[in-house]
Amino acid sequence: MSGIVIIGGGIQGLSIAFNLARLGAGNIRVLDAGYFQGGASGRNGTLIRGGFGSPEWTSLFAHSNRLWADLSATLGENVMFTPRGYLIIAQSPAMMARLEGMVSLHRAHGLDAVLLTPAEVKALEPAIAAAGILGAIHLRDGGVAPHHAAMKAYLAASRRLGVTVEYGRPVTAIEQVGGLICAVMTGDERIACETLVIAAGAYSVDVGALAGIEVPGFPMRIEAMALEPVRPILRSAIALPDRLCYLHQTARGEIVGGAEVAERPQVTLRSDIAALAATARAYAEVFPCLASLRILRQWAGMLHATQDWGPLIGRHPDLANLWLSAGWSYGFAGAPAAGDLLARAILRDDLDARLKPFAVDRFRRGAPVREGSIVLAPVE
Amino acid sequence: MALHRAGERALSCTRKRHRPLGLSGSFIQGVMARVDGVPNVRLDQCQARPGMVAERQNSWPSPRADLLKLFRLVPARWVRGGFEHTRLFPSGTRRFLWWERLLAFLAGEGRLDPAPPPSAIQPGRHHACDLLVVGGGPAGIAAANHAAKTGRTVVLATRGERLARGATAMGEIVTPIDPSVTVLTSHEVGALYRGGTLAVAAPHDDGPATVIACAQLTLATGKRSLPPLVPGNALPGVMDATTALALAARGSKALGPTLVVGTDARDRVATRLRAQGVDLVDCRPVAELKAVRGSKGVTGADCNGERIACASIVHAGPWRTDPNLAFQAGSAGELRLAAGEPAAQVTLAGFAAAPDEAVHWSGIADEATDICPCMDVTAAEIADLVRGGITHVEELKRQSACGMGPCQGFPCWELMNAVRAGVGGPHLAADRPSHRGPRRALTVAQAAGLSDVVEPLR
Repeated sequence: MSGIVIIGGGIQGLSIAFNLARLGAGNIRVLDAGYFQGGASGRNGTLIRGGFGSPEWTSLFAHSNRLWADLSATLGENVMFTPRGYLIIAQSPAMMARLEGMVSLHRAHGLDAVLLTPAEVKALEPAIAAAGILGAIHLRDGGVAPHHAAMKAYLAASRRLGVTVEYGRPVTAIEQVGGLICAVMTGDERIACETLVIAAGAYSVDVGALAGIEVPGFPMRIEAMALEPVRPILRSAIALPDRLCYLHQTARGEIVGGAEVAERPQVTLRSDIAALAATARAYAEVFPCLASLRILRQWAGMLHATQDWGPLIGRHPDLANLWLSAGWSYGFAGAPAAGDLLARAILRDDLDARLKPFAVDRFRRGAPVREGSIVLAPVE
Repeated sequence: MALHRAGERALSCTRKRHRPLGLSGSFIQGVMARVDGVPNVRLDQCQARPGMVAERQNSWPSPRADLLKLFRLVPARWVRGGFEHTRLFPSGTRRFLWWERLLAFLAGEGRLDPAPPPSAIQPGRHHACDLLVVGGGPAGIAAANHAAKTGRTVVLATRGERLARGATAMGEIVTPIDPSVTVLTSHEVGALYRGGTLAVAAPHDDGPATVIACAQLTLATGKRSLPPLVPGNALPGVMDATTALALAARGSKALGPTLVVGTDARDRVATRLRAQGVDLVDCRPVAELKAVRGSKGVTGADCNGERIACASIVHAGPWRTDPNLAFQAGSAGELRLAAGEPAAQVTLAGFAAAPDEAVHWSGIADEATDICPCMDVTAAEIADLVRGGITHVEELKRQSACGMGPCQGFPCWELMNAVRAGVGGPHLAADRPSHRGPRRALTVAQAAGLSDVVEPLR
């Protein structure tokens, strides 16, 4: 009996697999070319928020944020999601004006969002240097979840429902007959499938090429670093959009985050000195107490950048049994919602309105999603 | 060093179970303390001065009456990697929030002042040279001198406060450095970028960091002796030969009755220690050492069924090269950052270039044998993971947190691999997780000063 093959065992692939299995689908196989937690799902900043600058992003991520809150119960494992609050801090009048416009959008989507004055920000995060802070949005149900806990939970829950998940299994060919995918090849094994899902992170463009389709976007690295552990000093998950910087303190005491620099997109897991210096500069200026801490490690992860930084979710317009969950830049935060809604779309042919703006062919149709509150450097 | 000489052997403790750690030369956690209000300062890298306040960190309510020591009663098995996402405290419940708070408090080592006195970001420096030599021992000096004589511009960076510390401690005659070589002492080179053509060095104090652009890179970082893989191997009093020689040079009494274990070169170390007046009780092959005895520090050793009373155990082998910088210079990959062939301009020199010695492991996966004591990872935990089917080094690292502490993977990944190959069989070739920079070599303030020094890749 042929079933569903998912290419990519990151948080997207596992979330789709779990949700498909939960809705009763059988014979689900997840194939991943790398090792468990080796991709962006094990390298990202782990920040989770529901509120963004656009209604499209906010409706999808608000749903995801709510799913995160109950995810431990859903999966039967502890994902360690901690609703410590998410602060988006403005350091420029333009950003402050944007945040002021966002609060009502967030509230309309059921999020517990409030606008904070600089004094209130300082009261919440005493480590911050108040000078230069104009205010912030406080998303009180946002937070963080460590990827080691979340990924292990998704893997364990998927396997418990009978999903086969294999790492070190690169897909080398994708076969199609009459406008439908019929099988994938991994090594010498040919796996017939009725449905194929590409959730291969930065490698989705290459995997798409195996199926003879052009997946919009390109792979690029993003960098992060960890400071040595100290007693709790930062409470919230924090984004500094003006500095293209984000950070939080983990339950292990380390301060993890990064700042983006405008560079020619790099296809490598090597890290670079420019991101290290930019991150350190933002930390030292905005959180002066961090200046004396030592940097433990720096690393890079690869993501799949699209023209509008938004994900590509849904059925491929040219191949009726090919689905995508790709092009993610906030994929860790968005995975519970994407898996939930995409599984329903695949099994029940019921495409939720929250997925429609992120259709795979939106650039072809000239309908990108405009989102102005994400922490990513512009690329040409 | 001064504290150890004064009889304070347990300077710090492990992260989860608060077992005592001291000056070992291997495990950095053992020398971290809060000095003059700054957490996580390496005691072996700061000069003692009058009025300096060094506090034991990771203690509560106070360093003197430390109730966290009760965690020593927690069985190692309960706090293995992943214990923190126990199903007893699932997220989404109120008890998880308390659990997470407790975890964060316990994991954070030192206390940071949220409003420190303002400190200016020190602008970074930039050096361009034909050759960068990392390591100030005889091999590093020879490589630097050789290049300088042919008219090339040379920078030599060493973590030592002066050149050839180790060789001097061994009583060797050292060649002076060519005066045209730019020497950066007390500088740690922690990160290499762009295939080893950009290095970042920073002083141990809070002076400015330096970016060194180099056409060629020579790593003359020597080898380090790995702790024996036996029960009790992280007790205060177990130390590597380099540390023992440095202590002995400052006064022979600090070590007490001393047992030397090691590989072929152990007799040279033993002879030198004896010449410096150390009370040497015996010198044995490391494979004969079966266990280290003691609770708060070393009191003896079991060697092939024989009990030897001693206060210090000095290991002189197996000797291995720290692979971190060579890995950073040569590694590449998209799915995984793996060791590649170092670029042509990167060479190893001296002892660092010699073959590594094998790590001896008895095959007994004991909870008292430490792999990564800073993170409380034991041989039993690694062995059980491998037996359970987790053999990929990256997964072992992520599952156990081995090497995620202050050393960032050396020597603990060497020990982890010895157990991995010992349990899983010889087919598990020497493979290692990605070594990353800058592994504590620079502070946020020092790194911030580099933002105007280097251009992003455009």
